Amino acid sequence: MRPLITASGLSKSYGAKLALNNVDFEINKGAPVALVGPNGAGKTTLFSLLCGYIAPSKGSLEILGHKPGSAALFNKVSALPQDAQLDPRFNIDKQLAFYAKLQGMGAKQSQTEALRVLDLVGLKEIAKQRAGDLSHGMRKRVTIAQALIGAPQIVMLDEATAGLDPIHAREVRELVSELSEQATFILSSHDLTELERLCSQVLHLDKGVLSEHQTKTNNTDKHFYTLMLSEAYQNVEQQLQAIAGVSRVYMSQHKEYVVEYQPTSDPLDIALLNFCHQQHWQYRQLVNGHTLENQIFKQEKV
Amino acid sequence: MATPLPINVGRLTQIAGFELVRMFLTKRGLIALAAFALVWLIILRYPIGQAVGIVSAPDFEQIARDISGSIGLSKLLDWPEAEFAMYWLIALYSFPVFGLFICSDQTVGDRERGTLRFLSLRSTRFEILFGRFLGQLAVLACLVAITLVATLAVLGFRDPSLLAGGFARALSIFLILVITLCPFVALMTLINTFARSSRLSIVLAILYFAAGGIIVGILQWQIPVLGLLDYLFPGVQIELLAGQNLPLLSAVAIPLVQTAVLLSVAQRIFARSSL
Repeated sequence: MRPLITASGLSKSYGAKLALNNVDFEINKGAPVALVGPNGAGKTTLFSLLCGYIAPSKGSLEILGHKPGSAALFNKVSALPQDAQLDPRFNIDKQLAFYAKLQGMGAKQSQTEALRVLDLVGLKEIAKQRAGDLSHGMRKRVTIAQALIGAPQIVMLDEATAGLDPIHAREVRELVSELSEQATFILSSHDLTELERLCSQVLHLDKGVLSEHQTKTNNTDKHFYTLMLSEAYQNVEQQLQAIAGVSRVYMSQHKEYVVEYQPTSDPLDIALLNFCHQQHWQYRQLVNGHTLENQIFKQEKV
Repeated sequence: MATPLPINVGRLTQIAGFELVRMFLTKRGLIALAAFALVWLIILRYPIGQAVGIVSAPDFEQIARDISGSIGLSKLLDWPEAEFAMYWLIALYSFPVFGLFICSDQTVGDRERGTLRFLSLRSTRFEILFGRFLGQLAVLACLVAITLVATLAVLGFRDPSLLAGGFARALSIFLILVITLCPFVALMTLINTFARSSRLSIVLAILYFAAGGIIVGILQWQIPVLGLLDYLFPGVQIELLAGQNLPLLSAVAIPLVQTAVLLSVAQRIFARSSL
């Protein structure tokens, strides 16, 4: 199957500053893809390149076989660019209907489509309000709504949940999860837990350099569990190490332990939970594999 | 980045049409429209409404002819529709200046706000740029048409028998005025591709005419052939056009060529700029 997006030797520099350095990746149709990295890592630059807002300094980038920004991608690729705002002087339904018309819909259909996408983000009732009269969170949700007009194959959301309250952030996550059957989402966020829930492929950018991670599979010969405890207990590492099949234990964060094991016929997760119960340890979570946070950042706490 | 062509006429029409909505259905647009209507009410009531009385007064007629002749406007005195002669002079000089102000925010506001990013995922940069140009020109054309209809009403009120001739006169004035306005709108289209705000666009336009005029004047004084540089300025033909002393071909060709050049430069910059 042909990849949706192919980047090869992609670089972008602003004057002397290299924002993206020789980046290669492929994104295939399927589960949402996460784009993570610290501030200034090059995430927004990569988004801008994918949307055709800026041109690469070097390398090539293709989306569905076309250059980003090409007319052939209209109606197929949509995006929520970071900090982009609708015109504050217009009713939001008018603006969304205008975008729908640009995507080829008729007058009546575009009105219906505007209300449909506003309904998806829970804002149908404020369709007649001007964008300038909305709160920050509402404006963000309206801009997410514009990315859902029509039936895009690729939806890119840059910091979609930043600035949203927890309830609406959760609604956006649920929306992405629901729609990910129909479109491939590319999400950037600083909330790794959020991305871990939604995404299977993770593109990690740091200082313009890209590395890839998988969230849902152990992609090496080694097998891990990550155990998060509710409280700090004494000698956890030593005690866990004594369980049959465990080859190594280390603390990855405060009250969080990574358990490396050799697969045997006896399931280790059951043994781990039984052990916690026997020791009267309260656990918060048992993750099969590494957490995304641990994959990306330094794992072992010395 | 995207290849600017081909043009989708449907999208182009949508973008141009949205400019009319922006002008006539937003608070800011309506305030500008109200100010415009007020100014033209005064113009219609006094200079235009009283034009006939002043020009045809027996004591004044010869003086008016002498003065008009010396400044190349004598042909206007032969128009039976004196209201349109006065309208022509006022509109020809005021609409370009008004146009610079009203067209000062074609793409710059949307670019600074990020709204262009939503648009550029749905239409090519050429469609956005040219659509906005056409939209702004349509807004000005509407305003010209409204003032012409009002002038026609003033004329009909004075002498209904002049209405038929007045209508034909209004139509020709409309076409020439809109064509004359094209390069002014295109200049603002160009300035919008690199300015950071609509206010700065206006300042840059004023500088272009003021400082540019001085520089070309000096160059022309040193090397007379550089007088051709006058054609860099929209409205270069207005002085001759005012007195109906310019061949129709020049009256049409000069602004249209200027518009084509300004728009193609604007497109080159816009296609390469970051959104």
